[in-house]
Amino acid sequence: MGGSKTGMAAIFLTEAQVLVAAKKTHDMGFVKYDAITPYPVHGMEEACALKRSWIPYVTFGAGFCGLSLALWFTWWTSAVNWAINVGGKPFFSLPAFVPIMFELTVLFAALSSVVALFYAAGLPRINPPILDKDLTCHKFAIFIPSDDVGYDEKKIEAMFRALGASEVKKAEF
Amino acid sequence: MTVTHHDQKLHVGKFKPSKGLKTAAYVGTGIGIIGFAIGLLKNPEHMWPAYLTALFFISLLGLGGLFWIAVNIISNAGWSVSIRRLAEGMTSFIPVMVIGSLVLALLGLKTLYPWARPEEVAGDPVIASKAGYLNQTFLIVRLLVFGIGMYLFRRTIVGNSLKQDATGEESYTHKNVAAGVAFLIFFALSFTMFSMDLLMSLLPTWYSTIFGIYCFSGMFQSSLALLILILFYMKKKGFIQGYYSAEHIHDVAKFLKGFTVFWAYIAFSQFMLIWYANIPEETEYFLMRAQNGWMGVSMLLLVGKFIIPFLALLPRGNKRSPVVLVSISIWILIMQYVDVYWMVAPNFNENQMSWNGYDFSLLVGFAGIFLLVLSNFFSKNSLVAQKDPRMHEALSHHVSY
Repeated sequence: MGGSKTGMAAIFLTEAQVLVAAKKTHDMGFVKYDAITPYPVHGMEEACALKRSWIPYVTFGAGFCGLSLALWFTWWTSAVNWAINVGGKPFFSLPAFVPIMFELTVLFAALSSVVALFYAAGLPRINPPILDKDLTCHKFAIFIPSDDVGYDEKKIEAMFRALGASEVKKAEF
Repeated sequence: MTVTHHDQKLHVGKFKPSKGLKTAAYVGTGIGIIGFAIGLLKNPEHMWPAYLTALFFISLLGLGGLFWIAVNIISNAGWSVSIRRLAEGMTSFIPVMVIGSLVLALLGLKTLYPWARPEEVAGDPVIASKAGYLNQTFLIVRLLVFGIGMYLFRRTIVGNSLKQDATGEESYTHKNVAAGVAFLIFFALSFTMFSMDLLMSLLPTWYSTIFGIYCFSGMFQSSLALLILILFYMKKKGFIQGYYSAEHIHDVAKFLKGFTVFWAYIAFSQFMLIWYANIPEETEYFLMRAQNGWMGVSMLLLVGKFIIPFLALLPRGNKRSPVVLVSISIWILIMQYVDVYWMVAPNFNENQMSWNGYDFSLLVGFAGIFLLVLSNFFSKNSLVAQKDPRMHEALSHHVSY
């Protein structure tokens, strides 16, 4: 999903530098940029001023659907379509259905979250361009796509150089 | 002592209980003692159930503090060391619990437990067959083993932490890992017996193998709620600054939500298996709690101890909001008391729900003693384990979202 974009990339060698750079990039008014780090960097969400993900709402909604569906289904099978007397209990016996309602809540919530995550993160991406092969090991990068507001290669290069980037290049990501 | 670290201003003041707090603690204790004395002489059949309910409810708060510390120690958690001392304070009720349970075993046994009344044991072969376990001597032995065990573990674990305050010696942290592991094993076994002895044997013909875990789940849920209240109190009164942030409180709130779900899971497991199997000697317990007004209390527990806290603690914003957290913590503490009351009272007034003056006076009495020992502990010791070797982890605690 989603083709790659051209833009400017800066490579940083330390976590502290990339945090400052992410903050600065945000302050310059860029909105579509991305920070690429080999591991989760504490404070990165704040530096990029990321909003909270919308995935929890999907989880809650799907969980609620699972709960309702299970309640309806156990009622329909046990009390309507094929009513069977189990131990003299009422056909519609909520305590017996709670485990099923719980399981379907969890199942729907979990699977929908994974699907939503894939959608939100634009996965799967087959064979994406590589900015720098060390980004999965010990280097950090900021990438600003060319369609971002106020994109100006000269200005960006000057900004990244001032922030102490070890390398600034035109790249595809 | 004020130092600067990680750009945060760190400050630990000397704890001085406010006048209102002191008065409340002394007045509460006084009301409790008066209620106990009058009840003992005039109305033991009402006083002892109230005593048992209040003692069990408050004791669980103290035990929950120790359990939480042990869980954090053995999971090698660094984030919580800056708030550990507050949970350590909660454990100061444990000596009172030991004395309180022995008083009950020596004076109130015949009033409370059918198995302690020889004429009832003689008339019921089921109870008679359990006499090898359910008798006064063995009960006192078990209470002593549990109580002294808890006391010694508390002395070791909290003691090591306090000794570390003076020297900052790292070995105390390592020593506490072994103590924490031993405590959890001992606690799992002995707390099951403690809850069976004090609450389950009120109805000696009934049994539930999950009963100990049920009491444990309520214990952990309520003690986390209390810990949140203490965290906000110390912050608001300015005794502690900078040592814990919204992140720490958020994490304790996550614990609280998790164990709210855990309580519901255990409570439902106990109910559903008994309901499904429908064996008379097991259903007895729930039948008593489904009639004569008790059904309302049972439903209140389902809604109030699970559904309301669960939905209230679900959004992230609520777990970081002082207003929501303080109200839901107070609410959970009330519900925990209702839960203990719900386990005890139907054995004595099955035909009608009544909550009388003894219930009130003993509750505020034990709560008053709890406040006294708590503020005594905080006045004597530093409010933060400042020299803990993992303090830097707690100070830079930050959770990605």
